[in-house]
Amino acid sequence: MTQEEKSQPVLSARGITKRFPGVVANDGIDFDIRPGEIHAILGENGAGKTTLMNILFGLYQPDEGEIYIHGEKVEFKSPLDAIEHGIGMVHQHRKLVEAHTVLENIVLGHPHAGTILNLRRAEQEVRKLCEEYGFKVDFRAKVWQLSEGEKQMVEILKALYRGAKILILDEPTSALTPVETRLLLDSVQAMAKKDLAIVPFITHKLPIVLEISDRVTVLRKGKVVARLETRHATEKSLAREMVGRDVLFRVERQEVEPGKPVLEVEDLVVQSDKGFLAVEGVSFTIREGEIFGLAGVSGNGQQELVEALAGLRKPVSGRIVLDGVDVTHLPPLERWKTGLGYIPADRIHMGSIGDFTLVENVLLNYYFDQEYNRGGILDYRKARQMTEQLIEEFNVATPGPDVLGRNLSGGNLQKVILARVLSRRPRLVIADLPSQGLDVGATEFVRNKLVEAKVNGAAVLLISEDLDEILDISDWVAPIYEGRFMGIVPAAEAEREKIGVMMAGYNAEGVAQ
Amino acid sequence: MKIGKNEFKLEKRTSLSGWQATSIAVLAVLMTLFLFGFIFLQAGISPGMAYREIFSYAFANKHGLPLTLNRFIFLLFTTYAFILPARAGLWNIGMTGQMYAGALSAFAVLYAFGAQQSKSLELSAGLVIPLMVLASMLGGLVIGAIAGYFKGKFDTNEIVLTMMLNFILFWLVSFMIKEGGLFMNPGGRGESFELPPSVYAPLIGGVPFTGLVAVLIGFALEFLFDRTQLGYQIKAFGKSPRAARYAGIDTFKIPFMVFLLGGAIAGLAGYHYFAAVPGVYKIARNYGQFGDLAFYGIICGLISQSNPLASMPVALLFGGLSIGGRFVQGKLHMAFGVDYALLGVLMITLVAFQFFYRYRIVRVSLDEEDGHA
Repeated sequence: MTQEEKSQPVLSARGITKRFPGVVANDGIDFDIRPGEIHAILGENGAGKTTLMNILFGLYQPDEGEIYIHGEKVEFKSPLDAIEHGIGMVHQHRKLVEAHTVLENIVLGHPHAGTILNLRRAEQEVRKLCEEYGFKVDFRAKVWQLSEGEKQMVEILKALYRGAKILILDEPTSALTPVETRLLLDSVQAMAKKDLAIVPFITHKLPIVLEISDRVTVLRKGKVVARLETRHATEKSLAREMVGRDVLFRVERQEVEPGKPVLEVEDLVVQSDKGFLAVEGVSFTIREGEIFGLAGVSGNGQQELVEALAGLRKPVSGRIVLDGVDVTHLPPLERWKTGLGYIPADRIHMGSIGDFTLVENVLLNYYFDQEYNRGGILDYRKARQMTEQLIEEFNVATPGPDVLGRNLSGGNLQKVILARVLSRRPRLVIADLPSQGLDVGATEFVRNKLVEAKVNGAAVLLISEDLDEILDISDWVAPIYEGRFMGIVPAAEAEREKIGVMMAGYNAEGVAQ
Repeated sequence: MKIGKNEFKLEKRTSLSGWQATSIAVLAVLMTLFLFGFIFLQAGISPGMAYREIFSYAFANKHGLPLTLNRFIFLLFTTYAFILPARAGLWNIGMTGQMYAGALSAFAVLYAFGAQQSKSLELSAGLVIPLMVLASMLGGLVIGAIAGYFKGKFDTNEIVLTMMLNFILFWLVSFMIKEGGLFMNPGGRGESFELPPSVYAPLIGGVPFTGLVAVLIGFALEFLFDRTQLGYQIKAFGKSPRAARYAGIDTFKIPFMVFLLGGAIAGLAGYHYFAAVPGVYKIARNYGQFGDLAFYGIICGLISQSNPLASMPVALLFGGLSIGGRFVQGKLHMAFGVDYALLGVLMITLVAFQFFYRYRIVRVSLDEEDGHA
């Protein structure tokens, strides 16, 4: 308590409660943010982080509870009110105008901008900010030319330019390379020294919480379950608070003798929707019992490569051989029948159908199967039995198989997709961002299932932005940058820093490509 | 909104059972009758009497009931033509054109047998009637397939395409039956030649056999959507084309198939009205009115939430109201077209009531609110 007397909190929340039909998203949340501190809010998906953040930024109004800024009670009717009180928000999904320059984006919406832009004056003001906090960014570059890390910097600058004293960062490192993460953390620490309070909301990146934050507030099921000084916390203790049970961090690696090749890709060239070459001639082989980890920041050709492999995008040239069959020109259904199992990144719009029951969702990968389709008539009863079985086997939290897909949480939906794909015992599993947005428990589950598939003799292609995930379970690591592999490294030789550098466009020798 | 000690709020529905959907539709019908009552009042007619006349003529009169049933059958075919693509997330606005194509194809069979020359021609019913039915389906199928092909292959807008085909077919009918057309009535009169009595469609209890066909198709469609692989693929494509593509569902075949099948069923509507309804037996000069009526298949499909079985009572109601409305207009000497006005109000009300498919009104007692505020 003595500490609190020393520095009066800049922001206090008292008893914040928000109810949605059927759930209490925030249940009497109290916390204080002091000037110059980095205060992490930690919690699984569905713990109420997003709701809390939206309340602090004026997007939602709490049902109960009060917010105080510098001891004065405030009510945010809209984000504009929050901005006026010095709250800045950097969303997880960028909210910038891609075709505009950095400066134009920073100025957009600022009261000074008015009807006639005075860019010269704005530039001076923003430049001063940059010097103060040590940001380096080209004001005249168009936003689409920037990397994710630079875009985030622009968003932070934008918030600072509008006078933010409290900066809320939503899962700030989720789309960054290790190098960019480093840069971000440095500037966050620099900003905190200038008495800016910073509140990152983080799901499961515990090392980051431990490294940069001064204090942590842990949410679980809408309630604050722990409030502690970071120096008293460990990765294990935080995870236990967050999940409510002990969590193993390392997925058990299991070495198996690789068998014969399952996927052989030769010189594959794929075009993107925008017309440029997204994949520029990659070749690789995945054998039975191997996990091949494709490491890279989103947008470097992973999506196009996966679509080409699944038959959803015609390659410009090259060859794809699946289990000995040349499938380069075969439609998706033929590939499924040949042994493809594909877990798409967009589990809500592509991997499942929200208006379908779980039985119908499971049928997405079974409707063509001899066992479930007799002369054009589907065996719904059998499909229902199988769904019940999969629900049990994969611990899907659901009232039953007749629930609609859209009523499942992200983690449970992913379990259904995983269950459906893996139960076919596919020869090749393509897992595209399989644990993205999942909480610690579900992530662990997904990784273990992929390892299990590999042990059972499948070849697994794992696409992930999370380098830890790749390093944890892959046998081979291929960093991808602008449509090319920067190398194919055996897991034993894959060092974190080296792979991180390769993801940023350098080859194994550190030479820019 | 506050009324007394209660506050009423709108809440988004998370699910809608068939029973709830039905009660909403019934409420909408009652609301229509209530609203339209004011129109009768304004014309100086007692609404109660008018409705008694409408319903008793449409559903309990030996002259009215067959008319109602024939409209019901016609509407049912065009409703199915809407429902099939609708389940795949696609809009068929072309049931009118597909229906015309069906009528023309059926008459083409007659023409081939020389029926244009003589009304008293003795044709083998067992041969010619099945041929006419098949031809009408084929005609509708071809027109539907055009839309389906372009949708599946080039992702063109199916609404625009089917709509435009309607105009083409409308004028094609005109070209065929008016002066100088192949199907012209020997006596002129701007209509087609008449069906020889030898190939009048057989009646079952006074109703053309097409009624039985329509009901059977309803059950067949229900089975298609509920049990079959094709139905599953149609539904998956309709709910999420991306997920369907991911799962290997053929994104050409599905749009193509639903328009092809929908068109074939719409073609049957053409056979039914112009070659099976007693007292018509020709493509009449006012064929355009039946084209307009065919559009009500869209409304019936929307109201029944694309459920083929639910569309039966809906189509029956629409058929009955249009016949009863027509009758009451003549009987009571009303100055406007009661049939289409009534259908119009019904349509607007039903569409407005669709709101309740997505939202419901919940009552919050203010006393409770005070309790914890």
